[in-house]
Amino acid sequence: MDRRLLGLFGGLALLALVGLGVGPTRIEAWFAANSVVLRQAMVTGLLIGGVYGLVAMGLTLIFGVLDIINFAHGALLTVGMYLTFLLYDRFGVDPYLAVPLVGAALFLFGGLVQRLIIHPARNAPPHNQLLLTLGLALFIENALLVAFTATPRAIRLPYERDPIGIGPLVVDFPLRIWGTTITLPKLAAFVFALLLTGALSLLLQHTDLGKAIRATAQDRVGARLVGVDIHRIHLVTFGLGTACVGAAAALVLPFLSVDPQVGNTFNITAFVIVVLGGMGSIPGALLGGLLIGLTQELSVVFAPGSTKLLGVFLVFILALLFRPQGLLGRRL
Amino acid sequence: MNHRQRLLQDYARLAAVALPLLAVPFLVDPFLVSLAILTLYWAYLGNAWNIMGGYAGQFSFGHAMFYGIGAYTSTMLLLRFQVSPWLGMLAGAGLAALFGAGAGYLLFRFGVRGHFFALGTFALAEMLRLIAAETEFINRSIGVHIPLIRGDSWWRLQFERTQGNYYFVILGLFVLGMAVTIGLHRSHLGAYFQAIRENEEAAAALGVDVLRYKVYAVALSAALTAMGGSFFAQYFLFIDPTLAFGVSVSVQILLRPIVGGVGTVWGPLVGALLLTPLAELTRAFVRTPPPSLEFLRGRSGVDVMIYGALLILVILFIPDGLVGAGRRLWGRLSPGPRGGRRPS
Amino acid sequence: MSQRPVWAWLAVLVLAVLVLSACAAPAAPQAETGGGAAPEEVAPAEAPGPEEAQAEPIRIGGIHPLTGGLAADGIQMDNAIRMAIQELNEAGGVLGGRTFEYLSADSTGSAEVGQTEAERLVNQGAVALICCFQSSVTSNVAAIAERSSVPLVIDVAVADAILQQGYRYVFRLQPNATAMGVYGAQYLRELADALGATVQTAAYMYDGTTGYGDSVRAAFARKAPEVGIELVAEVGYDPFGVADLTTELTRIDQLAPDVLLVTGYYNDGLLIARNAEDVDLDVKLVYGVAQGTYDQPQFVEDAGDLAECFLDSNYHWDASNPKALAVREKFQQQYGEPMRTSAVLAYQAMYIIADAIQRAGSAEPTAIRDALATTDYADHILPYPGPIQFDEAGENINARPVVMQVQDGRVVQVWPPAVAEAEPRMCVSWKQ
Repeated sequence: MDRRLLGLFGGLALLALVGLGVGPTRIEAWFAANSVVLRQAMVTGLLIGGVYGLVAMGLTLIFGVLDIINFAHGALLTVGMYLTFLLYDRFGVDPYLAVPLVGAALFLFGGLVQRLIIHPARNAPPHNQLLLTLGLALFIENALLVAFTATPRAIRLPYERDPIGIGPLVVDFPLRIWGTTITLPKLAAFVFALLLTGALSLLLQHTDLGKAIRATAQDRVGARLVGVDIHRIHLVTFGLGTACVGAAAALVLPFLSVDPQVGNTFNITAFVIVVLGGMGSIPGALLGGLLIGLTQELSVVFAPGSTKLLGVFLVFILALLFRPQGLLGRRL
Repeated sequence: MNHRQRLLQDYARLAAVALPLLAVPFLVDPFLVSLAILTLYWAYLGNAWNIMGGYAGQFSFGHAMFYGIGAYTSTMLLLRFQVSPWLGMLAGAGLAALFGAGAGYLLFRFGVRGHFFALGTFALAEMLRLIAAETEFINRSIGVHIPLIRGDSWWRLQFERTQGNYYFVILGLFVLGMAVTIGLHRSHLGAYFQAIRENEEAAAALGVDVLRYKVYAVALSAALTAMGGSFFAQYFLFIDPTLAFGVSVSVQILLRPIVGGVGTVWGPLVGALLLTPLAELTRAFVRTPPPSLEFLRGRSGVDVMIYGALLILVILFIPDGLVGAGRRLWGRLSPGPRGGRRPS
Repeated sequence: MSQRPVWAWLAVLVLAVLVLSACAAPAAPQAETGGGAAPEEVAPAEAPGPEEAQAEPIRIGGIHPLTGGLAADGIQMDNAIRMAIQELNEAGGVLGGRTFEYLSADSTGSAEVGQTEAERLVNQGAVALICCFQSSVTSNVAAIAERSSVPLVIDVAVADAILQQGYRYVFRLQPNATAMGVYGAQYLRELADALGATVQTAAYMYDGTTGYGDSVRAAFARKAPEVGIELVAEVGYDPFGVADLTTELTRIDQLAPDVLLVTGYYNDGLLIARNAEDVDLDVKLVYGVAQGTYDQPQFVEDAGDLAECFLDSNYHWDASNPKALAVREKFQQQYGEPMRTSAVLAYQAMYIIADAIQRAGSAEPTAIRDALATTDYADHILPYPGPIQFDEAGENINARPVVMQVQDGRVVQVWPPAVAEAEPRMCVSWKQ
């Protein structure tokens, strides 16, 4: 058996031993006392994890195909959120209707960024590309600061708490099941995230463009040999990646206020998810997002009082050590 | 020219750069001295990063972990046990080297490299930040003050800021760091590092103990970085988890060597000489813009925006760093046997 | 491989910079106030004679985060100082006609930049500093001020430790973390008793990474047993890395505390309000302790009806003082935004310095410091029970928070009764 798996199972066995040491009855009592929180943690973890997954999907595409760490990803999310805010505030466009608009706008913006900044540095060493995207993030964040000031903006959907009828079934929001709470904006974001994942997977699996993208990700030279226009694929992939972020931005705005730095909140988790899910893997990003969402929320239950990102980083390091190719990634 | 002579020549060059620098505090006004301190400080940290990120090719995106360990070690030893920051600096260096060696061993043993190694170091630094914010002994997220003393004290490593003592300390550290790099550059160890950077498998095939030397590189770089952290604490007199372990520390540390030239002896200094005044200039520009750009005056964000744009331009147009660009230019200006003799 | 070009260039560069700066230094228009002749070339033509030195403007430095995540407050504070200086100059300045000149600096929210900017300001002849909004930056700037013997008036920065270093040149206008926590707890008890409500247990959510929330929470927790409040949960979070707090609030809901206490910044405060509504949190009151959201008019804009009933014990301007209202009115006209409390404090700090200079009869930093130490300023626009006076450490002895509440879409002061605009209400918006 592989050493990594051995380590993983060893760790699990250790955890089980600790559990036995504490004693089954006490564990049972603990679960009884915390059952509602536990359920809520799982629900929130899944809902927010879907959105994390969508953000990370754009990143994993860019990472997998262009092989660059795009640190401006969070800043692009912020751009999308401001765009959604403007559409809503000035023209009354519903954020969910804005999803395709913002996605398309960010596709163009991403293409522009790729052409102007990423493409010229395609042969530069990786650290240069990383710094380029860092510089870009600085630029975007502060351009937004100049344009919108640092005052946070938030929107509140007028129908957030209205009951919704699906045929004969009327659902009240926020939805309450087993003591847990599901709000409309988060549920909508989650459902959209799933749909977009499916759409993107189909695109990659079944269209010529998707095949070309996958070929480029697997073997750049080979793809060129069979006639794939690598430069065009890089352009389109970067655009697709930023379009994902744009869609995510429109979905996030109804429950999170936006200021020029808000993207940083998602940036770090997105990288963790990409590595966890396997770089370049769309289902991996979704799975990684759900897992990270769960990790983060469950750490509130199991390690209350400490900041929840700690658990996320711990999972990340473990994933690096034991499964560097990611959960659904190819073996490196 | 034999090996020894080359080494001596390099040290002579270092002296040629450093000796005139001794005069700075006597010539310029105090504000410029503090800018010079920051420039040398970043050059020193960049140099420490460069050993691991440049020479050994192990790109670290989390050098704040070593820096923070250094800053907290010397500070806590001073506050709790009245230990001189000089000794604290050494203790911090030792602790950071141990931590770096441990973390490096773990990551390298499991074959983490490239982008993944960079992200791993990043995660480790963030974990330390979050843990520090929860640790009672170092006053949680509130941070610790180093008490101000009257007058100067070399034992306490605290001086009147208007005088040059801090400057001489950081100049001394800088020379020390550069001397280490130069020694490394001309040694077997340095040759192993570069062999690993160029091609790990080939180096291993030639009998280089890759894992061991990578761990050495991390430990050496960590120790030097930690000493910079101790200096920071003594100079700024206050640290908290974000100042010590924050992301911006890691970014700032690697910015200079990359702009100056990764894996070159002089790159970090050149990068610091460009970037530190550049930040100052963009700030001054927004403070008092030319009349045609009057609308920019005092607009917050404009200076950092310009800084970001300039950073992008520098990296796009000088991809091998200023030192590399300088060499290319020199090669073009002086054709013939001198230029032709050095193809790389 | 030789490195001749690089090191040679460096050596030349170093020498060139040295020579240049050595030449430039004497010519630089440094208005050093400590000794030395006043530069002749800036003497205005129409004011010759012995008043020459008096025509020199008095330079005041301000350091705030004008970029970065806290720029919303920083920019307002910077503008508030400008407005105060403009007023003071229009009223004829101080010391018989000397005007003020404002040197503005951007800390970018980083301690390192804040510190070098403080040095720049001192070097450019600032005789007093106003800063910083963040405790970490203030800690560094305070050390510079002390080292350079230039007085510093802290407008906003909460950490106790800044003034526990024995500094002589540093003064603080706002209540520190201990005052925030202690009075926060005391006012909560008084408020509950006045409303006839049982308040025995509370859960605390606080910013656990920047030091701000942690220091206020610690002070509150020390005072809590004394006023009969038991903290059943203390939940820290990272205010700049959090997208959802539903789980934390569910956990608190299970403990069924009487009150939810919150200390943090704007965005996370808004998030807590929204998530508390989502989980239908079963508490009698939500009470911010030095919380950056619940006393902001913007909170009402962003949260709508949800904002109703939220309480916040925080620093504030004195809403029962017509002069304060006039200042805020003017600010809104000039800068187009409602003036935040942080900006009111920055504005006030400038007046305190002007008062000290007037009383000192001199614009020497040490004289200003001595005058600041004996400040007795009653004409202020802050809701304090007495004049502004500084103790040995430099703390404003009358600095108190006030409790505010969102009532019918407006933020009103409700406690203590001396500055109250309205009766407090016992409610949470999602239960109505």
